[in-house]
Amino acid sequence: MTTRDLVLIALFTAIIVVLGLIPPVTLGFIPVPITAQSMGVMLAGCIIGAKRGALAYVLLVLLVAIGLPVLAGGRGGLAIIQGPTGGFVIGWIVATYVTGLIAERLVKEGQSEVRQFAGFFIASIVGGIGVLYAIGMPWVTAVTGTPLSAVATGSLAFIPGDLVKAVIATLAARAVLAGYPLLHARA
Amino acid sequence: MLNGLNVEGTTPLHRMSVRTKLAILLVCGLALYAVSSLYILIPAFVIAAAIYFTTGLAFREAISRLKPILFTIMILLIATAYLTSIHEAAESFFRLMAIVLFAGAVTATTATGAFIDEITLLLQPLDRLGLVRAADVGLAFGLVLRFVPDIFNHYQSIKEAHRARGLKVRPLTILAPLIILTLKDADTIAMAIDARGFRRPREKPH
Repeated sequence: MTTRDLVLIALFTAIIVVLGLIPPVTLGFIPVPITAQSMGVMLAGCIIGAKRGALAYVLLVLLVAIGLPVLAGGRGGLAIIQGPTGGFVIGWIVATYVTGLIAERLVKEGQSEVRQFAGFFIASIVGGIGVLYAIGMPWVTAVTGTPLSAVATGSLAFIPGDLVKAVIATLAARAVLAGYPLLHARA
Repeated sequence: MLNGLNVEGTTPLHRMSVRTKLAILLVCGLALYAVSSLYILIPAFVIAAAIYFTTGLAFREAISRLKPILFTIMILLIATAYLTSIHEAAESFFRLMAIVLFAGAVTATTATGAFIDEITLLLQPLDRLGLVRAADVGLAFGLVLRFVPDIFNHYQSIKEAHRARGLKVRPLTILAPLIILTLKDADTIAMAIDARGFRRPREKPH
């Protein structure tokens, strides 16, 4: 792995940590506030790609595991990984990888802006929402015994917020691609 | 800026090695899932709570760490009780809480440095196989901790710049500048690392 890639990964993990320090935003019609950190999966996949994005999240999960308060709200520690939402935490890694894979395939430089938006949006939805819930929800059922259907129904409340996040991440990712393209850059 | 969630102390848990604690956590976690009798789960919960609250954490801090997890667990278990049975929900509650409390106790009694040393040790076999370079992982950790304050300062400057121009501060307008500003440093940092030879390949012994 090139030193530059290693630094990009570590810097992005640091970015995700700082995102946790940005206060959450409540949008009127959405019941759950949106934290900047929860957009990290979509951002990492769309900006630094599948492999580096996933590794950035491996690093983040390790930081959580060793007891550093890196998650939004100053949370951290093994209890979060062992608890019901642990599946989402581990799922971040896979979700980022999938988001990155799709973004790398669909978005190329030189495409029209609209196509790039569409590519990032699809990547964010499939990876950042689809794959993430596909991993997180069964974990909840396995760990707490709550029937999967109930977990799925409960998770519906988060979907509108997640869609807004995907839009914001798409716009941000495209702005970064225009300003400092990294998605396809290999050292 | 980022302080570990552990506290200093001399409890038995503090003195145990990281590996032992993690092994016990893993074994207990698996064992508790194999059990469904409240006669075992409730004592396990009580023991875990006793361990957690005697680690040296301030009581208020100990409770505040549990709150978010407890909240999620309660919502899920109320749904479970409604959809399956109160007995199953009760089992889940004591089992989950025992595991969460013990995991919290491990986090509270293990220093960040001890964890990092342990991770480096555990990576040695993979290092020898050539899959992962343990030194790289340590370097990556160090880089994250080193740059979080700097990136936070970037965020503050961008926020101030927005305010000075009368723009509302929203994630949409903050994310792209923050990310670009941060990642632009990557090349300089990488050059500095290479210039210091931190990632020289290991010399093979003759």
